This record gives sequence, C-alpha cells and structure tokens, in this order.
Amino acid sequence: MRPIRLACGVAAALLASACAATGTTTSPTPAAQETAAPGYLAVADEALPTGGALNLQVHIDSGAATGYDPQLADVATTWQLLSLSYETLVTIGPDFSVQPLLAEKWDTPSPTEYVFHLRKGVSFSNGREMTADDVVGSLKRLLASKGVWRGQLGPVKSVAKDGDDKVKVTLEQPYTPFLAALANVPAAVLPMKEIDDKSVDPATTLLGTGPYAVENHRQDVSWTFKRNDKYWNKGKPAADTVNITIAPEEAARIAALQNGGAALATLGNVDSATMLAGAKDVKVVTQATTDFYYLMLNTLKPGSKLADPKVRQAIAIALDNQQIADVALGGKGKPTAITPAGLPGSCDPAALPSAGKSVDDAKALLAEAGAQNLSFTLSIFSTEPAPAVAQVIQQNLQQIGVTVKIEQMDEASWSGKVYGKAPAEFDAALSWFAGYADPAMVTKWWNPETAGFNVGFMKPDKELNTLIDAAGQEPAGAARDKALAAVCAKADADAQMIPLVTRPATVAYRADALSPSLYATEGYGNVLRLVADVRVKKSQ
Amino acid sequence: MRLVMWWSGRALSSAATLLGVSVLIFAAVRLMPGGFAETVLGPFATAEQKAELATRYGLDQPVFMQYGHWLSAVAGGDFGVSMISRQPVGAELLARLPVTAELTVLAVLASVLVGVPLGVLTAVRARPGGGGAAGRLLSGLGVSVPEFVLGSLVVFVFSRYALGLQVGSWVPVTADPAANLATMILPAAVLSVFSISVTARTTRDAVMGVLVEQYVTAAVGRGESPWFIVRHHILRNAATPVVTLIGTTTAYLLGGALIVEHVFNLPGVGSYIVQAVGRRDYAVVQAGVLLAAGVFIVMNVLIDLLVGALDPRLGVTAGRRS
Repeated sequence: MRPIRLACGVAAALLASACAATGTTTSPTPAAQETAAPGYLAVADEALPTGGALNLQVHIDSGAATGYDPQLADVATTWQLLSLSYETLVTIGPDFSVQPLLAEKWDTPSPTEYVFHLRKGVSFSNGREMTADDVVGSLKRLLASKGVWRGQLGPVKSVAKDGDDKVKVTLEQPYTPFLAALANVPAAVLPMKEIDDKSVDPATTLLGTGPYAVENHRQDVSWTFKRNDKYWNKGKPAADTVNITIAPEEAARIAALQNGGAALATLGNVDSATMLAGAKDVKVVTQATTDFYYLMLNTLKPGSKLADPKVRQAIAIALDNQQIADVALGGKGKPTAITPAGLPGSCDPAALPSAGKSVDDAKALLAEAGAQNLSFTLSIFSTEPAPAVAQVIQQNLQQIGVTVKIEQMDEASWSGKVYGKAPAEFDAALSWFAGYADPAMVTKWWNPETAGFNVGFMKPDKELNTLIDAAGQEPAGAARDKALAAVCAKADADAQMIPLVTRPATVAYRADALSPSLYATEGYGNVLRLVADVRVKKSQ
Repeated sequence: MRLVMWWSGRALSSAATLLGVSVLIFAAVRLMPGGFAETVLGPFATAEQKAELATRYGLDQPVFMQYGHWLSAVAGGDFGVSMISRQPVGAELLARLPVTAELTVLAVLASVLVGVPLGVLTAVRARPGGGGAAGRLLSGLGVSVPEFVLGSLVVFVFSRYALGLQVGSWVPVTADPAANLATMILPAAVLSVFSISVTARTTRDAVMGVLVEQYVTAAVGRGESPWFIVRHHILRNAATPVVTLIGTTTAYLLGGALIVEHVFNLPGVGSYIVQAVGRRDYAVVQAGVLLAAGVFIVMNVLIDLLVGALDPRLGVTAGRRS
C-alpha cells in the first residue's frame, strides 16, 4: 500500500505539472504593451534612482549538468543566466542590429578580415583588466572546443593580436553571420589568464566582465547576483542585486507576480496574459523572437512512408501555419520558413512552393506515393503550447486523409524517444529551435552532419547543404536574399523538418516595482539582455 | 529480554524493508522511459559527451555494480551524486529537509487540532439533524479532492486575494519567521485537508465505538458532565486508532508534499524529487524514495511505542502480562 502511495505521489506530481501547464486556446485580451522607443517594448526610466534589489522568477535552472562554461552552453535559458556575468565583443541591438560591446568598433578590411578595437578600462569582476590575450585565447579556445557554437562561428582561419588593443580574425572565406555568432554568450570573453593557470574553472565559477557577479547559487532554488563594482560602463548596472528564483510552475510565477513576491517573471503559456488581465500594476508584454516550432518527420525508420518525399511534401502542403499561429499561439506567432520570420533577409513563407498548393494537390501526391490511408504517431512534450499545436496539425492532416495519433510525453521520455537512438523510434515529433540573429544561422541545423542531433531521423541532402553554405557566404543584399530564398524552397521540398510558426516570449512585470528595458525582438532567447538598465522602484 | 528481542526484530525487518525498497526504486528509475543522457545533456550532446557522462556517474558499469556503488554511497551518507547539480545528494536533502519538515509538522498540527474535535463532535451529535451528515460529506470531499487540484485552486484564488498570505514565493524561517509562516500556511492547509478528513472520520468511528461501552453509560448514570466523560472516558479509549492513523498519515503527508511543494514552489525535498523524476536524476529519486521509506519505518516504530504507552495491553512488552 505504502509503496503504491509513493508511486502514486510521483505519478500525480508529474500529472500535476502537466495539468498546471495546460491551458485553453481562448483568445487572450490585448496585453498591456508599453509605448516605448522603436525596437523596444519598454525603456527604463533613468530619472529613477539606482540601487535596490531586483526579484525575478524563471522556470528553469539549466546549465549545471554540463557546467557553466559559456562555450559549452547550448540552450537559451543558460545563455540568459550567463549573460549577467559574461560579455561578448559585439552584441545584438534592437531589430537584430549588431552593436559594439567589449569591442568599441571593428573594421572589415576585406570580406574575410575583421579587426576589433578593444574597449579600454574593461575589467573582470576579480579586478584584473581584460587584455587582447583574453580575447584571442577565448576565441581560440572556442574554436578548439566541442561546443555546438563552434560551428556557428564559421570558417575561422586565424585569430591574432594586432597590438595591445586590437584583435584580428581572418576567415577562410566570407561568412556573413560571423558578427551575429560572436554576439552570443558562447563567444564571451573569458579570463584566460586564470583559466590557463587553473585558478578558475569556468565550469563552476562565473568570472566575466559583465554587470553582475554571482554571490550565491542553490541549484533549482535561486541565484543571487551582486553588482560588479569593476563594471566598465559607469552608472550601470542600476540595481545592486538581482535575485532569481527558480519556479517551475507557471501558476506559482503568476501568483508571485500578482502578490508582489516577484517583480518580473518569464512566462511560457500564451494564455498567461489573459490570466493576468486586470491584475493591479502587472504588465504583460510579448517579445517577438526568432525561435520557431518545427515538425520532424522520421525518414530513417524502416518501412516508413515518411521516407517518400511526396508524402512529406503532401504533409507540408496540408499544414496551415497561420491557423497554428492563430489558434495554438493566440495570434502571437508568425508562420515561418527555415529562415526565422522577422529577421532581416528572411524568406517570405507565403512564397514557399508548398504555400501555393492546395489540399487536392496534397491528396494527389499521397495517391502517387500509394499512401492514401497514411497513419502515424506525433510525439510531443507536454509543455504548452505543444499540445495545442499538435491538435491543429492533426486536424490539418485529417483533411488529406492522414490520421495522426498524438502521443504526449514528459520531456525526458520525449527526448529519449526522439534523440536516444539512431535510427530514431518515432514517426513524427514536434520541437522548437532558437532562431538566432542572422537568417542563415539556424539553416545549418538542416544539415544533420553539422547539427548531429538529427542524424537519427534525417537524411543529408547534398544539394540543400550546398545551398546553405552558399547563403552563408553571400554578403547582405539582394544576392543573399536570393540565396536564402533558394535554401527555403529546397528545405520546403525536402520537408524532413518542416518549419511552422515563431515562438513568442511572454514577460510580465510589476510596474510599481521596477522600470525595465526590453527589446521588442530577441534572437537568443535572452529576456534579461538589458537587465543592467532596469531601475528598481521598490524591493519586495 | 523481550524488549531486546522486539527491538532486534524491528531492526531486522526495517533493514530488510529498506533493502527491498532500494532494489525496487533502483530498478524502477532505470525502467523509466527516456534516456538520462538526452535529458541531462540535451539534444546537441555528442556521443563522446554522453559516454563521458556515463563514465563519470558509473552508468556504463553493469547494473549490479552500479547498485553496489549506490548502496556504498548511501552507507557513506552522501546518497550518490546528482547528475544535474554535480553535488552530493545527501547534502542537498539535508538543506531541503527543514522546509518539508515544517510543512509536515504544520499539516499534522492542523490534522490533530481540527480533525480530532471534528470527529468527536460529529460522533456525539450523531443523530438526525445533528450535523453528522454534513460532517461526513465534508470529510468525504476532503478525502476525494487531489492535492494538485486543491493546490492549483488555492494558488489561483490567493494570487488574486492574498489576505496577508503569500503564494508563489518562499522566505526562509531564519530570514523572517512571520514572512515564512505567511508562505507556509496555505501549502500546509492544502496538505492537511486529506489528513483532517481521515482523522475526523476515524475519530468519529472510534468515539462512536466507545460511546456504547458500559463504562460510558455508567459515567452518564453517575451524572458526570459530558465534557468530563469525553476527556476521561472517551478520548483515552478511542485514542489508539487515532494515534495510529496520525502516525501513518504523517508519513503519508511526505508523499503529498511532493505535489504541494511543487505547486507552491517551496524548495523542499518533495519539489527536489519531482524535478529529479522529470530529469531522470537517478541518485536523487533513489535517495528521496529511500528517505520516504525510512520515515515510514521510523513512524511505525514510534506509533507502536506510543500506542503501548496509551494502552499497555497493546504495548511492545504486553506479552509479559498475559
């Protein structure tokens, strides 16, 4: 009886988690959006005094398992956390523009050469001044690492000091996303002197040039950051302390916001804005991101009809991404091609070959493939809005006679099924990508030999891979737009991973407790990108 | 001698139970779907990284060796190492135990202070129109509503109407005892609903059983006051099943704490285990279940001793009197 009770407790806990995360797909009332400068959802009021403690809540404490070495960080939640302590040579500004950070400017003498002029007076939080050797060492270390971001840096030929205050990076060939790739946390400047003499292990200690330094951390409970008094940007950070509470349950974060236990929280459910509608002093804003949902079709499962390109194309034709955005994401997502919608130079999803075809065309393709009564299982994780997205997919495909059985799993079971074996055991699965800050970056994941994670369910397509590489080399402009359009069209026809809709980020904060700065768009899932600007009105 | 035999027997049976639980939970976590490598490291992990993780935590060794290493870690007190935090599980359990203990103590207090008087009241007023049916209905509801449903409802309602209480955040008792209590009252209330209901029902049944005894009729005949009869004749004689129930319920509440801590975002042992289940953090799940089993065993021993003190006929050395 007692072991059964305990087992029931564990099972019920999982069920509670799933149920609490489940919401309806009713249309939310309009969220309170601050009127701010172009490119911003909110701009901190600099007339407010500095100081105070900023209390935040987020849903997960990721990173510990693989360590806190920024170069090995591969998920946005870890980038967000590490960005409080680490900085990069360049950063992403409003509307995805690349802007100076630790490099106050850069020259591009040729399409394959970048010379970064390092900012003077920058120190790590231990007080030691940042040098060109730190920059060179960090980039060389990243290039030699097995981190996933190494591939995003592109064909780097050499990294070298150019005097004491300049660093020169030479590429094998032009690579347009290079600066955007440098702007993310894995390319942060690390304290190489301390790492080399082993006085600091970046896997366990956060030591960067950023606005905050870690004071305390309890795994899955909380982080406390104190201002870095050596921070180079005078007057920042505004808040003395940042307390981050880990609250996996969205309902608990919403409750903490409403009763003042938290001043800002990240939310995952698109219906949270509705739940917070009318809450006193709470503002909810939706940040457009380049992250997007996509459908994986396993072409390597023996005997699967999904190995036939005609079947996959029929599925791509039948999917109504606008309906997914409207119904499952409350109108907050946007249909996208493999270049994330909203990024400058990204493809128009309405111009994709599949977008111009009809349900009858899809049925004809299925008939040609002998797959009129196709039936498969769609494996999804239980976090919203994945179940709602899956239901729309199910209904879309029903129109062409395809029966989809939805298999909802906890994330660990889902990960095991999708990534655990090669060839993978699933038929179809739903997931999402971080979309980054350049349209060519995420297209690399359509090459399984580069991405690695999809080698168990996706066949490499040589033609597509060539197009992806070509688009990466084209400088920004009409020629690049054309190259990216070719990538989008080819990926659309290949249809092993079908892009669906963008994944917006929802942030809620108490206007009586803080005045935040938030970009309207984000490429690296970093809601806390402008945390150094936030002014505290009152600490809870 | 009989006492020594009793303690020896309990020690042996407890050890055998814990060993059995350890085998079951060790096997169960490994039978759960989903690979630890994909969950812990994420989809971008290479085969080398997965292999390195398996080697670091001994997961590439034969299962019986893994089990042996874990038992040795349990005996050493660190309960193994968490794959998520890379820290010994024992230290984290110790850090989180006060939160769960506080939650459980508050819930037990509520069970006793509300459940026992409610049970007595519904028993002594067990007549048509005496409110017994309403009491049974309420206790039936309390038993039927799962903690995650009630907890979610309470979180939703009190996030809007706080009434001086706090949901969604937690304050350590060492930082601010009053604020700590404000964060613990609602979770404890949710956790206690089941045990209040069961305590009330059991107390009612026990009291009704005692009410028909001749010594109660005699006390009434002697003209003793109802309150005196309840205190001196009914409660003491009805206490055995109630004490047994409260003891087992205390251990049960640990299971309920899994859900309540998760829903209310309290950093206790329960939320630690829930997160570990989701991440396939084997050592944490194993340690949590073993700890819960240990608490069950200790509570059972304490109940036996307490029942013996209340009613010597049922005590551990009762055989000497027969």
